[in-house]
Amino acid sequence: MSGLRERLERLRAQSPEVAAESIQAETTVSAKSEEHLLHADFRHIGVELKSNENGQFLLRRIVYPFPYRHGRYELAELREGASHLSPIAMRQNQNSEPIDANKLLFLDTETTGLGVGTGNVPFMVGFGYYTERAFVVEQTLIRHPGEEKAMLSYLLGHMKDKSHLVTYNGRTFDWPVLVNRFILNGWRRSGPEPGHLDFLHPSRALWRNTLPSCRLSIVEEERLGIQREHDVPGSMAPALYFQYLSDHNPIHLHGVYAHNEKDVLTLASLAVHFGKLLGGISRDAEDEGPEGEELFRTACWLEKHGNTESAERLFDLLGDREELGDGSGWSLALAARYKRAGQHERALPLWRKSAEKAENSALPKLDAHVELAIYYEHRDKQLLTALTYAEKALELAHMRARLSRDSASRNEEKEALLRRVTRLRDKVSRERM
Amino acid sequence: MNPWTEKTESVEEWLGLLRSRPEIMENVTFWHTQPARPARTVSIPANVHPKLVEALRHKGIADLYTHQAASFQAVAAGKHVVTVTPTASGKTLCYNLPVIHTLLHDDSARALYLFPTKALAQDQVAELQELANLMEADIKTHTYDGDTPPTVRQAIRNAGHIVVTNPDMLHSAILPHHTKWVKLFENIKYIIIDELHAYRGVFGSHVANVIRRLKRICRFYGSEPQFLCASATIRNPQEHAERLIGEDVALIDDNGSPAGEKHMVFYNPPVVNKQLGIRRSSVLESQKLAAMLLKSGIQTIVFARSRVRVEILLTYLQENIKHELGKKSIRGYRGGYLPKLRREIERGLRNGEIRGVVSTNALELGIDIGQLQACVLNGYPGTIASTWQQSGRAGRRQGSSVTFLVASSNPLDQYLIQNPDYFLGRPPEEARIHPDNLLILLDHLKCAAYELPFEEGDTFGGEKLTDLLEFLAEEKVLHRVGNRWYWMEQAFPAHSISLRSAAQENFVIIDQTDGHRVIGEVDRFSAPTLIHEEAIYLHEGVQYQVEKLDYPEKKAYVREVNVDYFTDANLAVELKVLHVDLESTSGALQRQYGEVTVMAKPTIFKKIRLRTHENIGSGPIYLPEEILHTSGYWFSFSEEESGKRSANDMQMALLGLANVLIHLAPLHLMCDPLDIRVVPQVKAVHTKRPTIYFYDRYPGGIGLSQRLYEKHEELLEEAGRLIMGCGCLSGCPACVGPIEEVGLLGKNLALSLLQGTRESS
Repeated sequence: MSGLRERLERLRAQSPEVAAESIQAETTVSAKSEEHLLHADFRHIGVELKSNENGQFLLRRIVYPFPYRHGRYELAELREGASHLSPIAMRQNQNSEPIDANKLLFLDTETTGLGVGTGNVPFMVGFGYYTERAFVVEQTLIRHPGEEKAMLSYLLGHMKDKSHLVTYNGRTFDWPVLVNRFILNGWRRSGPEPGHLDFLHPSRALWRNTLPSCRLSIVEEERLGIQREHDVPGSMAPALYFQYLSDHNPIHLHGVYAHNEKDVLTLASLAVHFGKLLGGISRDAEDEGPEGEELFRTACWLEKHGNTESAERLFDLLGDREELGDGSGWSLALAARYKRAGQHERALPLWRKSAEKAENSALPKLDAHVELAIYYEHRDKQLLTALTYAEKALELAHMRARLSRDSASRNEEKEALLRRVTRLRDKVSRERM
Repeated sequence: MNPWTEKTESVEEWLGLLRSRPEIMENVTFWHTQPARPARTVSIPANVHPKLVEALRHKGIADLYTHQAASFQAVAAGKHVVTVTPTASGKTLCYNLPVIHTLLHDDSARALYLFPTKALAQDQVAELQELANLMEADIKTHTYDGDTPPTVRQAIRNAGHIVVTNPDMLHSAILPHHTKWVKLFENIKYIIIDELHAYRGVFGSHVANVIRRLKRICRFYGSEPQFLCASATIRNPQEHAERLIGEDVALIDDNGSPAGEKHMVFYNPPVVNKQLGIRRSSVLESQKLAAMLLKSGIQTIVFARSRVRVEILLTYLQENIKHELGKKSIRGYRGGYLPKLRREIERGLRNGEIRGVVSTNALELGIDIGQLQACVLNGYPGTIASTWQQSGRAGRRQGSSVTFLVASSNPLDQYLIQNPDYFLGRPPEEARIHPDNLLILLDHLKCAAYELPFEEGDTFGGEKLTDLLEFLAEEKVLHRVGNRWYWMEQAFPAHSISLRSAAQENFVIIDQTDGHRVIGEVDRFSAPTLIHEEAIYLHEGVQYQVEKLDYPEKKAYVREVNVDYFTDANLAVELKVLHVDLESTSGALQRQYGEVTVMAKPTIFKKIRLRTHENIGSGPIYLPEEILHTSGYWFSFSEEESGKRSANDMQMALLGLANVLIHLAPLHLMCDPLDIRVVPQVKAVHTKRPTIYFYDRYPGGIGLSQRLYEKHEELLEEAGRLIMGCGCLSGCPACVGPIEEVGLLGKNLALSLLQGTRESS
C-alpha cells in the first residue's frame, strides 16, 4: 500500500476546486509568539484580553451613557416602557416574569455556519444591558475554538441576574446554538430556561406584507430610522473569521465587531418601538399615515396582545379612510371583522370601496361583490341591488377564470355564484308578480 | 378431469403430482429435499423479569429456542453479540428480550434500533408496542425517520425509551444534532443492528463509519452501549459484525427453531435454439409454475430481479388465473409502491386473503408477511445468501414447502443450474466492507469533527489519524489549536454525503412525446453509453430516441420513434497502473493488485440494423471523460503462452474469458454486479502483455479487487468449469458471449487459453 500522504496528495489532485494554497508557516509562528501581547489592531478598537478559571478570550466593552439616541429612539426610554413588553413575553414563554429593563440581556451571536448543528460555533457573542446611567454593549470573541469555554462561562455570568434574552430569531437560532456549546463543554442544564423576547415574530406580524423582508437591517432602516454606513453583512462574518484564523490579522474582524455592536443597539431600539406601540404611547401610526395594510396589521397585533383600546382606535381610523391605497387586502379583513361584530353599517362602506376598486382592476377580486350580494339579499332585502352585485361578481369570476385558465377551485366558485344569481332572479321575478 | 385445476391438500400431494409429469420433470436439473427439523427449546432463564415472562406466556411462548436463550445469556454477560439464524426463526426476540428486560428494571435506560429500511422499522415498533401493552409497562417506542412529524420529534428525543431509525437518519439528523439527544446518549444501553448482512459494499463501508461516529458520541456522554446484531446467513457473520462495529463479538448460530420439510427444485427452461443457445423465457416458465401452484390453492411468492419483471409477471399471472382467483388475491410488491399499499398487502398475506405475491427483493428483508408455502425465483437472485433468504419466505414450521429456482439464460444462472453442488456444497457469500477507503473515511472524519473536535491520541478507523486531520486542516476544513482539531467550515458536511451514493445517482429518462413523463432510470455509470444524444433507448419494448442529455442535471429527454436499428456506443477505457501493492507469479500467469486510474470516455456510437446487424451509420458522442482512482487486480499471460495464438485469436479468447469472469466475480464478492468492472487488453500498457483487469467501481476502491486477487485460483477454475459445462456449441450469452461478439471459435479459444495456463503452472 503506498503511503497515506501520497494517496492523500493524489486525492487532492483529483478535486481541483479544493486544491488549496498551502498555509504560510511564518504567520502561524508569529501569531504564537503574540499569545500574551494583544495585537495592536485589536487594542485600537478597545478589545482587551480577559481571563477566568476556564481560560482566556477577548472582550470589547462599549458604554453609551444616557442620553443616547439610536435612530428614532432614545435608548433610555425603555427604562419606563419595558413593562409594556410583557404581552410579547407572555405569548413566547410558558410563564413569564414581568419585564424590567434592568433584567433584559440583548443578545446577538456571530457564528461560523448556518443551522443549529453541533459544528456551528458562535465565535462572537455580543450582548447589551441597561445600567443606571448607560446602555452597555459587551462583545466576546474567541481567537480559536479552544477559548470557547472561558467565553461561555463569562456569558453565563452575565445571564445570571437577567430574566429574558432579547433577540432577533434567538429562540430558534442563537440560543439553541449556545445550548449546544454548553453541552459540548460538559455543562448540563440546571434551573429554568431563560425567558425569550424574540422580536422576529412581532416584526413579521407587523411588516410581513409591507417590507421587502423582515431582516433586521431592513426593519431598522425602514422603521427605526437607523442608517448604517459600510456595514459588513452578517453573512460575510464566517468567511472573515476564517480569514482571521488563517492569518491572525484582527483587521478582518473590525467590520464584524461594528456590525454586531449595531445589531445589539438596534435590539434595544426595537424594544423601545414595540414598548411604545403596546403602551399606546406611540401615535406615529396615526401621525405619519402609514399604509393601511400596516395600520391594520398593527391593530390586529395590538388586539392579540390584549391592547384592545389602541387596537380599536386604529381600526376606527382605518374604517374612516377615504382611500384604500395600494395594498387593500386589509379592507376586506376589517370589513369581515365588523361583520362578525354585527356592525354591518361599518362594513358596508369598506365593501363598497373595495368593490369599486375591483371593478377598475385588471385582476379583480370578487369577494366584496359577494359580500354585498349577501348583505343586500339577507339583511337589507334589496333584491335587485343584491342581484346586480351577484351578476357583477359572476362577470368578474369569468374574467378571472380566463386569466387563470380555469382551475378547478375557480369552477366551484363560479358554480356557487351561478346558483346565487339564479336564486336571486327567481326571487326578484316572484316579487314582481 | 385435469388434476391441476383441483385444490390439493398439501404441498406434498402437489409435488407428488408434479413428479408424474415428464414434460416438466425433464427440465428439472436438480431436486434437493431438506428434512424437517424439530424444535430445540430450553425454559426461559430464571432471571428474566417476571412481567416479561408473563407477557411471553400470553403470546404462547412458554420456552425459548436455544439460540434465543443463548443470546440472552451472552448479553447478560456483557458481550456484543451477533445472531445468525434463518428467516422466521424468532430472531427479533434475541434482541428484544434483553432490551425489554433491562427497560423493565431501569426506566432511564435507552436503546437505539437500526434497520436498513423504514418499512422494517415500522414493523418493529408495532411488535414492541404489542409487547409493552401486554405487560402494561410504560415503554415508549418510536420510529424516528424522515416521516416523523416535527411536532413529536422533541418528545421522542427526550422521552423515547426505544428509538427505531435507519443509518441514513442517524448520519444526517441524529449525530450532527447529538446535543438534542442528551437523554438518549447518556443512558444508551443497547444498539440493535438488524439485517446486518445488508450493510456490505459501499453502503456497509459508510455505515461502519457512521457507527464509529456513534461510538464516539456515546463515549463523550460517558456511555458504553452493547451492540446486539442479527444477520441472515452469510459466511462471515462474526468477522463482518466485528468489522462493522469495531468490537469483539460473540457469535450465536445454534438455531433451535423448528422447520418443516423443504424442497429446492432447480428448473432450467428448455432450449429452443441450440445453435444460438437460446432457451425459453424464464419469465414465462416462472409464470407457468406459479400459476400451477396458485390454481392448486398453494400460497406462493414469486421473486423477480427487476421492477419491470415484477410488473410483467404480475400481469401474466393475474390474466392466467382470473377464473380461479380474483385479481385482488394476486398482488405485486416493490419499491415505489406507497407505504399504505404495502401495509395492506403485508396484512393480506398474513391473514391469507392474498394468495400470491410477485416481488422484487424488497420482501427479502424481514418484513412480516407470515410464512408462505411455495416460492418461485425468476432467475438466480445473485447470491447464495439471497437465495436462501428469499426461499425462506416459503416454509412453515409444520408441513412441506417448495422453492423453484428458474434459471435465466445469463452465464451465472446457467452455471448454477448445471452445478447444483456449487450452490449446496458451499457456504453462502461473505459480506465485505472496507471502512478505511480513504474517500469514505475522510467524508466521515469531516462529519465526526463537526460533531466533536478531535484530540491527539483519538482513533478513528485504521489509518493514521493525525495525518488525515492535518490533511483536512490544510484543506481549511479543520482548524488546529494545540493538540485539538476543530470543525471550521460553514457547511453542514452530512448533507453532502449520502450513504448509498454509488448506486443511487441515477439519470431519469423523460419521455416528451406527449407532455413530460418519467419512464425510467439509468445508473450514472451506464448513462454515457446508453442515453447519449441520438441513442435509441428501449423501454418496455418501445423505441425512444434521446433528444437531449442534460448531463449536470442528470436528465435525458427522449421521444418515441419507430426505426429499424439500435445504437451501440464505444467506450474508450484507459487504465493506468499507479502503484503495485501485491504480486505473484505462477506458471504462465502473473497477477498483481494495486492502485489504478481508469479514464472512460464514450467516443462514437454505431447504428446497427435490427436482425441483420449491419452497420448503417455512426456519430460522435460529446461527453466529459470520467476519471476514477480506485484499486484493481489484474493478471497477464506470459509471452510464451500468448505467442501460441494470433493476436486476433488472443483478443477473442480474452474477451470470452472476461465475459465469463464478470459474471462470476460478483458471485464471489457478494456485491452488486455494477460494483466491479472487467477490462481485457491484448497488450496492456503496464504489463506489455495480454491482461485482464478488474477494478472497483468506486473511488478509492472498496476491497473487491483485493478479494479477487486472493481468490484468483478458485475464480479461474470456476470459469473453466462454466465454459465446459455450457451446452452451447461455440459460445452463447450464457458463457463466453454470443458468437457475434467472440467469433465462431470464441468458446474454444477461451478454454484453451485457460487450460494453457493451468498446464504450465
